[in-house]
Order: sequence, then structure tokens, then C-alpha cells
Amino acid sequence: MKLLRRTLIATAALVALGAQAAATVGQPAPDFALKDTAGKTVRLSDFKGKHVVLEWTNPGCPFVKKHYDSGNMPATQKDATSQGVVWLSINSTEKASGDYLEPAKLMAWKTERKSAPTAVLMDEEGTVGKSYGARTTPHLYIVNPQGQLIYAGGIDSIPSARASDIEKATNYVKVGLAEALAGKPLSAATTQPYGCSIKYKSPA
Amino acid sequence: MQAIAAPAPVAQHNGAHDEMPRGRRNQPPRDRSHTATMPYRLLHRLAFALLLIAISAYWTSASAQFGSKSAATTAAGSSVVTTPYVRAELLAHAPQGVAPGQPLWLGLQITHQPEWHTYWKNPGDSGLPTDLAWTLPPGLDAGDIAWPVPRKIPIGTLANYGYEGTVLLPVPVTVASTFAPGPLAQEATIRLRASWLVCRKECIPEEGEFTLQLPIKSTTALHAAAFDAAAKAQPRPVMAGTNGIIPDSQAQIVDGNALQVSVQGLPTALRGKTLDLFPETGEVIDNAAQWSQSWKGSVWTARIPLAAQRSNSPSVMPVVLAVQDGGHNAREGYRAELKVLGTWPAAASMATVSPALEAALKANAANAAVPAPTGASALTLAAALLGALLGGLLLNLMPCVFPVLAIKVVGFTQHAQNRRAHRISGLAYTAGVVLSFLALGALMLGLRAAGEAVGWGFQLQSPAVVAGLAALFTLIALNLAGVFEFGHFLPSSVASLQARHPVADSFLTGVLAVAVASPCTAPFMGASLGLTATLPAAQALAVFAALGLGLALPYLAASLVPAIARALPRPGAWMDTFRKLMAFPMLATVVWLVWVLGQQSGIDGAGALLILLVGMALVVWALSLAGRARIWMGSVAVAAMALMLWAFAPHVTRVAAEPSVAVAPAGSPVAGWQPWAPGAAEDIVASGRPVFVDFTAAWCVTCQYNKKTTLANADVLADLQAKNVALLRADWTRRDPAITAALAALGRSGVPVYVFYRPGKPPVVLTEILTVDEVRSTIATL
Repeated sequence: MKLLRRTLIATAALVALGAQAAATVGQPAPDFALKDTAGKTVRLSDFKGKHVVLEWTNPGCPFVKKHYDSGNMPATQKDATSQGVVWLSINSTEKASGDYLEPAKLMAWKTERKSAPTAVLMDEEGTVGKSYGARTTPHLYIVNPQGQLIYAGGIDSIPSARASDIEKATNYVKVGLAEALAGKPLSAATTQPYGCSIKYKSPA
Repeated sequence: MQAIAAPAPVAQHNGAHDEMPRGRRNQPPRDRSHTATMPYRLLHRLAFALLLIAISAYWTSASAQFGSKSAATTAAGSSVVTTPYVRAELLAHAPQGVAPGQPLWLGLQITHQPEWHTYWKNPGDSGLPTDLAWTLPPGLDAGDIAWPVPRKIPIGTLANYGYEGTVLLPVPVTVASTFAPGPLAQEATIRLRASWLVCRKECIPEEGEFTLQLPIKSTTALHAAAFDAAAKAQPRPVMAGTNGIIPDSQAQIVDGNALQVSVQGLPTALRGKTLDLFPETGEVIDNAAQWSQSWKGSVWTARIPLAAQRSNSPSVMPVVLAVQDGGHNAREGYRAELKVLGTWPAAASMATVSPALEAALKANAANAAVPAPTGASALTLAAALLGALLGGLLLNLMPCVFPVLAIKVVGFTQHAQNRRAHRISGLAYTAGVVLSFLALGALMLGLRAAGEAVGWGFQLQSPAVVAGLAALFTLIALNLAGVFEFGHFLPSSVASLQARHPVADSFLTGVLAVAVASPCTAPFMGASLGLTATLPAAQALAVFAALGLGLALPYLAASLVPAIARALPRPGAWMDTFRKLMAFPMLATVVWLVWVLGQQSGIDGAGALLILLVGMALVVWALSLAGRARIWMGSVAVAAMALMLWAFAPHVTRVAAEPSVAVAPAGSPVAGWQPWAPGAAEDIVASGRPVFVDFTAAWCVTCQYNKKTTLANADVLADLQAKNVALLRADWTRRDPAITAALAALGRSGVPVYVFYRPGKPPVVLTEILTVDEVRSTIATL
């Protein structure tokens, strides 16, 4: 336990130093503390003992819209949270980007689409996104109850912006969670994330 | 050429959507093609559909004003689609007309607005490759896009591969001999539905439908220059050697995190120049990373870091190389197929949790959802405590504990009329169990702290302890069978203590229960005890206490709740029969302990122990006699016992020189098992073969049960063989620090543990009580 915490701190420190050791599947997931859209601080370590899904999001991105407007992402979230899984939507879009939405507007956008994640987190500095090596919106990760990263990749198997492809695609997150909750290893632990580049703040 | 065609709806509305002021984003006219609905959104959808129809109507009239119709609706569609970000045009190149055997190229030319780009076949860190779907007359067959050399487009810490400015994506078309346009046909109708993602920082997915009337008999070469330029920008294979064989280019996996690339056969003109490298296989290298390159004579080498979240492990990696330059799209490139050498690093091994523990964790997470946000350790501790409690409960049913429980039941029914006595003895029993577990736990933690590599069940790794337990069980069995009564030979003070103090008696029974229970690692217990290794001492002891509480719980409940006590059978003559019956499981336990000792000290040790047990039986029988016979027989028996101890005890405690592999007795189908050694599993996995490891010990009943049932099951053995699974058995009957360390790595501190190691995937830890279904379903996933 202590060792794990120490590793997490060390990882966080490395990231802070700009070492950019991206998270790796099978390794401890980097801990973080981010404010949710209500200004409350949320830590990954708050949810030790539960499966946690991290979803990088940006309402300005057509790929995110594909999965929200079609109801696919909200349904996947609901499916997960109803099984006791924690779902954190993280927005790493920098404030200067045209896509940036203020917390209240971001939340309103989500609520309007019946999205009900456990929390929507603001990462305007992009530190958390970079520590996970998040590249696209959407880009999804699953952390197991022991705090290890067990999935990194796309929401599903058909990289396209067409909502009509959702039905034909394999939802990797749904499948991965079902396997993880059944105590099985994931059949697809890393997949190709697809979507828009995350609009990270350029390094000063 | 027509100026502006109606862009495909998706392109149009997405583009417009992105430019809309933020406040008006709420009702984008999208999803017109999307039909998937969910019941609860039905009404919402209906309203939406009406809106869409209105918008479509508007669009149609708008298009009409430009004098052109949607390509999808008329044969005379357009070959050009213009959006705010690109101008895309369907081009053809048929210098000899459309005829079998003659060259025919089609292509989509995309002219990007400044700063905007579309993507190559491997788009890099984000993006999508442009997709072309053709509808051609029968006999015409379109090939794949002949992708020109792309550019690397860095975006902050990410990188994409794609095109800026103007690019032509050519597609070769073969004209079959069956191509037979009617005698009057002048033109062939070429239709294309293209979809592309155009990005600056923001991204817009666009689609367009294109139609082109291609003259069959006459030359089409208006865009010859564009097709020529595209052909020049085609990567060509690295040069063949003098013997016509393309030299080996390689990508050696180094340090588990990089590719050492070496490419031969590049043209001499490139030597000494800095090259760009574009992998055709996505999701392998870290696209945005800085990397080094150098020329060694005619060989170009580079060291390229692998992606941290790599999801491809190809054996051949085609790459495109081109000279780094500042600008234009059309540049020469060379394609080399790198043979990948070495093994792709597996994702770091990670033990998955057994479903049993998972269930406990889940149940607990649900319980702890109440305000207990002290966080991680509270949750894990609570889960461990719960697991320990359940494990303790199950211990009651273990073959080595049940007889002790039976003694207790016998004792219980003796007090059946006295409720106060029940309560007191129940509490005393519980105290005895819990305190013994605490003492055992403290001893284990103490030894750990002192640097000893011990785990649960470690007591039984010592032959002296095994022999002592065998003696204890023999005494209990003799007592139950009625060979002697404790009162007859114990010093009278002790005997009367037992009689007068049922409390002390109950307490001692509790201690006894723990002594005999310790070898049985029940489900939950393994995982819970594994945790004690990482918990602070106080919390670890709490886990042991919970285990004790679980073991004592059924009896405690019976003693506190009169209803349970009333449900017990009334005392009577049957009790004596029952008591004698219980002697047999006790004797069976002795047989098992002797067998365990045989594994440790060999057949001489087991023989010596048996003769000592006989001597001990003689002594207690002699001491239980009355009068002169007792003095006479007692002296002889004690003397004989002393002699036997002197002669045989060293055999018992001597550890056999040869490590006898603790496999089942001859005749069992255990062929194929190899002894485990540190690193053996990893070595075999590295060679691509899955491995099953059975962490076992002769003194572990659960292990022996599993070995004789599930692991001897014909279907399981057949499955293992079919998947070519290497079988390793780690025998922990005697102390082995290497095995203790391997168990610790899996988060366990006792046996049994069953693990599947698979190439490139985390190992799977199975439940302690193996079922055939579980093993087979796990094998199926290998």
C-alpha cells in the first residue's frame, strides 16, 4: 500500500518535472487531483477499490459529438455507473482554444445529452492528460480497484465520425468493463484511440 | 468545370456547426442519417426529425439557386465538392480511353485552406485516413489509394501524418476484358463517395459525393501533370541488390522500449541526409518523440521510441522514408519492409484478482459507499476483514477442523440445559480462537520483520511441528475412541480444573481449533492474508482477529441464541457413539500428517513417527490404568518411549537430503509437470508458450484436493495439451524463499495459488477451490 502510494507520488513528480512518462497498461495509473465542474477537488485515489473509467472529452470535437448526440457515450456511462464503476470525464482543452467551454457550460452540454458521469473534471493545464498520454477526444482508460491501468484506447472498434457506425462497432469500454468486473483479463487492453487531437496548452 | 456543387450534408452542417457562436450550439442540424434510437429518446427524436426535414427542404432550395443538384440525386452530378476548408475534385487520367489493358487512373484531389490538413493511411496520434468508396460500371475495378509521401504535422506533444496544400490521392483502376459498354455508350459514369477528416487544431469530418462522366473512346489527359506529380510522390521500394534480392531492412526491439531501425538499399543521393520516417503500421511508435538517426556507409539507422500504449505488435513493419525538407508535398520517398527482430515487450505483468476476492471487494465497495471517504486503505482493510471473516467461517467445514468442531458440539450438548453456561463457554471458545490467531499472526509478522521469508501455513514446513500435530491428533483420537480419559492420568489438579472450570476448557478447545485449522487455507483467506504483508502491523493483526472470529462464529451464535441451541439434538446415548465416530476423521488427519512428514523427512521419518505414535498411545493407555497395573505398565511404557524417542526422533526431524518432488503417488495422471524454478515461467512465456503454475504443498488439503480432482480431470488435461500449456509445479512443502517471493509477487502469502501466465498479457490468478469450468474457460482465453 505504502509502496503503491510512493510510486504514485514519484510518477506524479516525474510528470510535473516534464519527464512525460506516459501511463502504461499494467502499471499503476498516475494519481491526480482535479477540480470538477462545481469546483470540488476529485482525486483518482478517492476511488481505490472500484473500477474507474477515465474519458477524455471535448464537446467541440465531432467525434465526441458522434458518441454523445447518438446517445452512445451517455448509455455506456450509465451502463458502467449502474454496476458501481466510477466514470470521470476529463476535459484537457486549453482555455485559449476555441473549443474551450467553461465548467458550467460544459456541464450543461453534458446534462443536455443525458450524460451522467460520476464527475466532469477540468484539466485546462493538460498535466493529467499528458501524464496518461491522452491523445484524442474521445480517449478512454480503465483503472482497476488496485489502481492499475488495465485499458487504454478508443471507445470502439470503428474509427469514423459517422454515428451509423456505432451499431456495427465493438464498444471496447463496455466489453473491457464486463471482463474486468468478471475478474477476467481484458481481451483488448490497448486499442487505437481515434478522434480529434486534444487541444493541449502549448508548453510555455 | 462547375464552380460549386452542393456539398454533402454531413460536410456542410458540421462545418457550419463548428463556426456557430457558442451560445447557439444547442440545436445542431445533425444526425440526419443516424437512425439508431433508444426508447426513452423517442419523442425527442420525433421533434428532431421534423426539424431535420425542415432544414433539408431549406437546403434543397438553396442548392437549386446555384443551379446544381445533389450528386446523389441525378446522374449528371458534380465532380467537385467545396467546403469552407477544402476543395475536393474527382479527377481521371485515361490517355488511351477506357479499354481493357489500358492505363486508367482515378483520383481525389484535395486543396486545403492554409493551415488545414487531411490524413495519410496511418494518421498518427489522431485523425482519420481519407476514405474513398467507388461505384463503377461493371468491368472496372478500383484498387487501393496509392498514397503519396505524407508530411509529419506536429501538434504540441502529438504528431500526425497527412497532407497540406494540394494533394492528389490516385487510385489505379483495372479494366477487365469483360468491360462492355453498349455500342452507343459514349461515357462511363464514375461515382465516388469520399469521406475525409480535415483539421487545423479543430477537426471537421466531411463527406462528399462525386460524379464524373468519363469518355470511353477518347483521351482524358487534362490532369496528366497532376497524376505525373502524384506518381513521382509515390514511395518506391528500396533498391534491389545486384542479385535482385531486396536487402534485409530490420527493426530490432531494444531495451523493451525502442526500435533500432536499419535500412539498406537507399539511393546514394540520400546518403548523409536527414530523413523523415513514416510507419505504415499505426499504434507502434511514439509518433511525436524525438529520435536520433545516422548513416553507416550505405545503411541508414535510427533509434525510435515505442509508444507507451502500443496496441500493435507486427512482425513486418513497412515504413516510408523521405528526405526532410521544408515544404512542398510532392517529394520522393522510399518504402522498406522492416523485419522485426526480438520480442515485443509484454505489457507489464499484472496479476488479476480472483473472482472470489473480486466479489468480496465489490460487496465491500457497496457497503463502504456510505460516508467512509477515508479512502484507499480503509476500503482495502475493510475488504480484507470481510474476506478473513468469510474465510474463517469456511474453515469450520475443512476436514482438519470439523472433528474439533464436533468435539465442541459434543461438549455443547452436555450443557444443553444451562443457557448461562452456554454463553460463557461460547465466549471463552471465541476468545481462545481469536487470541490464538492473534498469537500466530504476531509470530508470523515478527518473523517477517526479522527478515524470515515465511507465509501462511509456514508452521507446517517444520517437521517437528508436523510430528507434534500428529501426536496431538492421535491423543485426541484415542480420547474420543475411549481408550483413555484425560481425568485418569492428568494430575488431579488439572483434571479438576477442567471439571470445575468449563470456561478454561472452552478456551483451550478454541486454541486447539486454531492449531488444527492453520493448515487449511480456505478461499478468501489466501488473498486476505496476502494483504497482511502490506498492511501496518495493527491492521494486519485485525485481519487475523477477523479470521478467528469467523471460525468461532457458528459456535458463538449457537451459544448466544437459544433458538439455535434448541435446534440441536437432545443429549443421550447417541452421544457416545457420535464421539467414537469422530475418532476416525481424527485418525485420518494423522495419516495425512504422516504423509506430509514423509514428503519432508522421507519414508524413514514417516516410519519413525508412526512408531513414536504407537509408543505414545501405549504410554497414555498405561497411565489410564488403575492401581498397581498403572505403576508397573506405566514405568515400562515410559521407559520404552524414552528409548524410542532417543532412537527415532532424529529421523523425524531430519530433512531428507534429496528434495523429493511432491507429486501425487504413482498412478495418478500427472505426466508433464515440471518442477518450478525462479524465472522458469517467465522464460517459457517469453518463448511464446503459455504456462500454468500450481503453487502447492503436501500439507495443504485444498491443494491436494484440487490436484486429485480438477487438475486430474481428463477434459482439463486435454485442454492444457491442446493449447500447449507448459505445466510447472512449485512445491512449498518445505521452506523455499524463492517460492515465498513468487507468491508475494502475486499478492499471496500461502498456497494454493493457481496462475496462468500468457505471452503479452497479464497473468491470471484462479480461485483457491478450482472448478473444472473455471480452468477450462481460462484455458479457452489463452
